[in-house]
Amino acid sequence: MSDLTDRLAALAARIDAAVAAAIDERALDDVRVTYLGRSGEVTAIRRSIGELPNAERPAAGKTINDAVVAMEASIDAARASLERKKLDAMLTDTIDVTFPPKPAILGSLHPIRTTIEDATRYFERHGFAVIMGPEIETDDNNFDALNIPPDHPAREGHDSFYLKGIELLLRTHTSPAQVRAMRANPAPIAIVNPGRAYRRDEMDARHSYMFHQMEGLLVAPGVHFGHLRGMLTGMCRELFGAEQAVRFRPSFFPFTEPSAEIDTTCPGCAGAGCKTCSASGWIEIGGCGMVHPNVLRNVGYDPSEVTGWAFGVGVERIAMTRYGIDDIRHLFENDPTFLAQLA
Amino acid sequence: MLAPIAWLRDYVDLPDDPHAIADALSLAGFPTHIAVTPPVITGVVVGTIVNIEKHPNADRLQVCTIDVGATEMLTIATAATNVGVGQVVPVAKIGAQLPEMTIAPRTMRGIASEGMLCSAGELGLVAEWFEDGIMQLDSDARNGADVVALFGLADPILEVEVTTNRVDALSMVGLARELSARFGTELRFPETYVTYGGARVEDGVVVTRSFDSLDLRVTLESTDCRRFVAQRVSYVDVRPAKAWMQVRLALAGQRPINNLVDISNFVMLELGQPLHFYDYDKIEEQHIIVRDARDGEPIVTLDGEERTLTPTALVIADKNGPTGLAGLKGGQVSEVSATTRELVIESACWVGSRIRRMGTALGMRTEASSRNEKNLPIGLCDIGAARAARFLEIEGGAVHMPRGFGRTMGFPTIVDITKSDISRILGFSVTDRELMDSLGKLGFGVDTMLTPELIEILDLDPKDIENVKSFEVRVPYWRSDVSIAADVVEEIARVIGYDRVGLEVPAVAPHAVSSAPFDRERTIAHTLAALGYRELVTLALEPIGVTERFRTAGIDVPALVEIRNPLSDDQRYLRFSLLPAHLAWLAPRRALADARAFEIAHVFALGPDGMPVETALVQWMRSASAIAAPNGGTEPGYLTIAADALAFVRTVLGRSATIARGTVPGLHPGKTGAIVVDGIEIGYVGAIDPRLTHAYEIERPTYAAFVFIDRLPASTMPLFTQTSKYPAIERDLAVVLDPTINAADVAAAARAAGDDAIQNVSVFDEYRGAQISSDKKSLALRITLQRFDATMTDAQADAAIAAIVATLRERFGATIRE
Repeated sequence: MSDLTDRLAALAARIDAAVAAAIDERALDDVRVTYLGRSGEVTAIRRSIGELPNAERPAAGKTINDAVVAMEASIDAARASLERKKLDAMLTDTIDVTFPPKPAILGSLHPIRTTIEDATRYFERHGFAVIMGPEIETDDNNFDALNIPPDHPAREGHDSFYLKGIELLLRTHTSPAQVRAMRANPAPIAIVNPGRAYRRDEMDARHSYMFHQMEGLLVAPGVHFGHLRGMLTGMCRELFGAEQAVRFRPSFFPFTEPSAEIDTTCPGCAGAGCKTCSASGWIEIGGCGMVHPNVLRNVGYDPSEVTGWAFGVGVERIAMTRYGIDDIRHLFENDPTFLAQLA
Repeated sequence: MLAPIAWLRDYVDLPDDPHAIADALSLAGFPTHIAVTPPVITGVVVGTIVNIEKHPNADRLQVCTIDVGATEMLTIATAATNVGVGQVVPVAKIGAQLPEMTIAPRTMRGIASEGMLCSAGELGLVAEWFEDGIMQLDSDARNGADVVALFGLADPILEVEVTTNRVDALSMVGLARELSARFGTELRFPETYVTYGGARVEDGVVVTRSFDSLDLRVTLESTDCRRFVAQRVSYVDVRPAKAWMQVRLALAGQRPINNLVDISNFVMLELGQPLHFYDYDKIEEQHIIVRDARDGEPIVTLDGEERTLTPTALVIADKNGPTGLAGLKGGQVSEVSATTRELVIESACWVGSRIRRMGTALGMRTEASSRNEKNLPIGLCDIGAARAARFLEIEGGAVHMPRGFGRTMGFPTIVDITKSDISRILGFSVTDRELMDSLGKLGFGVDTMLTPELIEILDLDPKDIENVKSFEVRVPYWRSDVSIAADVVEEIARVIGYDRVGLEVPAVAPHAVSSAPFDRERTIAHTLAALGYRELVTLALEPIGVTERFRTAGIDVPALVEIRNPLSDDQRYLRFSLLPAHLAWLAPRRALADARAFEIAHVFALGPDGMPVETALVQWMRSASAIAAPNGGTEPGYLTIAADALAFVRTVLGRSATIARGTVPGLHPGKTGAIVVDGIEIGYVGAIDPRLTHAYEIERPTYAAFVFIDRLPASTMPLFTQTSKYPAIERDLAVVLDPTINAADVAAAARAAGDDAIQNVSVFDEYRGAQISSDKKSLALRITLQRFDATMTDAQADAAIAAIVATLRERFGATIRE
């Protein structure tokens, strides 16, 4: 038995020496395999139990097992120490974190889309659907249904592009989409409709023959001007900031009665008066009014049952005000630097 | 329209502050700004020249003695040649401030000059519009009176926008009426009183004649002339108009000509009624005929232009032919001139649309037609003629009775409204007083039919009265734009102001209108932006050159949709594709290694029936960094954009797409894939046709994809399927086969090899080269195997692979590459 103890002690001593000499985890693995592995020395010692009398075998087994556990613990402790040293060594590494990375390629949405989405968002939250429509339209949808018969002076302000050989035109406003929606759906109806429109305007800093409008329409029993001002105020706050107010100025559109121009607080000066707003403190963003009874009748609604309002704002005008763009043509030139600035 | 504040003050008392006046008009619905702020002028008074002597020491100077009132006489030397004794002139006294100078005492060649006589230009008026030299004032001006105050020269001039429905406000009186309603002050309507004829003395003999105009005949052959008032004025002298009238006109931007032209322009600007004066003696048989023009009939208009007419034109004619274009412009043949002794005032009312059509056909627009084409009120004809007659009488003319032809002013339009009409539209209520006051200020008559007696008879509850009480509103003759209750409500709101409108949020009832297309477009845009593409917004009209570039390159172009009335040839056709705009955008940026752009827009082509077809399209495009050596049968640039296409479909539709071989004009015939979802080709992806990029001087390989938005199937609700809890294993397999066989077909066949364990097969590499036969390619397949009931065994995996190998051998003659 003491012989066994001695052998184990000697083995432990050799293992300790080898562990102390091991410089990495692989060397430790070698130590384990060499001394504690299948063909290692400890196996020979285990086998030697067979030479002992039966009565001594359990005690000898326990002695061996205890010794092996201790040896393995010694190896594990060494391993843990090595790992710690390696991690500590890693912590001393330093890199130049200011070295410029290769930039990720970013896409962007056009400021016109961003403006439209910001404008529609408020209405969507309040149950309005967002619709679109074709850009080639009939005189009926673009004019007649909207209470603008042929020879009406208001057609003049909508100098239209007509198609060659066909009595169709490029819509001069997005309102025909509203006509289509009203004809396809019974009241009540609550929609906003952004999109492109076209008028025969020469391109300059403030005009483009192609432009975007965003219109809204609510027809239901009991709808009045107060609901319009409330919704437009909400939209302007979404577009320009939480302090915006909305003012109506009387105006004329054939498709609404009463009609008004929509002014909102000039975001440049918060209403104090500046160059942008010609010192008035207000900027005009579009027109609105209560839907003319003739229009309601034209689309099959009953003006004695329902009232409605409609509005239309110029998306480019709003985008230019929001982003401080001085020339509408920037919006259609798509310079990548310009687009990146506004993304 | 230019509105001098000084002129407006003739009809209504206004505040001093011009901004208050401009704001009042703006808030009444007439956007207004201050167009001209006049220079500061002080110390200029009216003076009468009482004596003129030659300057003793200077030939070119004259020394005037001027009575400037209050017994004050000034001695002023002047170089002006148009001075004469008795003239009334503006005198700048010592210390006077003029736009260009301050008057100081000075000695001119030995004579102390106590001021300066002023020209119109020196008073800030347009010099060329007035007589050269010293300005001539009216003889009744009081000596010593301040000239600036006399003419209102210190008042700014407003620029007022008048909406097309308010032709009544295209005049000083119309604007003054609006201001009187805003400020609660009274409107002073212009004087129209005349003493017909009167006694006249000719060559020392008192002449009495008939002044009944009965010798003047008018025949209206067209109903497009609603009313025609003709009035003869005799004994007219043509000379400069009164100074005050010239100044008023000049401030309003109208050049003074002579008393006749100026009176006609003045009345048009003052009342809004265009007039025309004819030389009475030049009208054949004094018989005016209003009729359609005959085809090819010529007329020389006042501007000296000879025009050839069609029956669209409405003319004023005599027996010999047209003497004027109705509502538009007079003709030379009956023009008043320096020799005119008698004239005829025409004050007419036309059907606006007829005047508009005629103006459009002739390409003419005048101050007169801009009013006549908007349906002027019939009642204004008689007032306009009377006002002109009054001025002509003051000028010394003998005015005959007016004669009116055609319709007369009818009964006023009556609109019944209740107060609930107002609250229903505006969302706030008004009192009876507000209702009646606001309408009354604008000239509307208001009566309520529910008189106190009636209320008593009907035994009504006061609460109910509010709701049922009806007001009868009589629309004034000049407001033909008001005909329904909503119109009247607007008038009330204009006076009360929209400030009272509340801020409310409507409760929107559920409705059936779908936002799906917009939602989809939004997802598309956001997806492409997330994939690194920048959104462009390009213009929709293009020149024919764009199409020619395609055709020259040998690429098919659909039948184009052409604009009938383009602004220029550069904007004649609606775009048929987004490629041209994007290549044109890329061309100057060809140096960019990886330019990426997308756009969502409509493209247009003519269908087989000749009708335009409008297609919603999303296109994305990216340039590759360099011409990469082909990696066997594919190329990196293509694979990159194809990956974007698959990611696009995955994100937008929530499902997978496959790519099949396809062709489409604009993309390379051998490098185009059709993007297929549920068996539908929703779009294409590929290399842009090199002939096209070359045409845009882009030599980089450039790739594009486009998807027809309307072909996209509805996105579906994804359903959960049970996943296996046993591990999946992957096996790679290289097969050698004919190079024309598409990778997608191989993968699809392998997936369908008939073993349940095959979850997915993807092709991840292609090889061509020395290690295999030169007429073959090798595809590397990654096979994912997994069972739902147990962990795969090696034997099961081997069986699945064997099934795939067998299938590929049978379908494509593929062999295993060891």
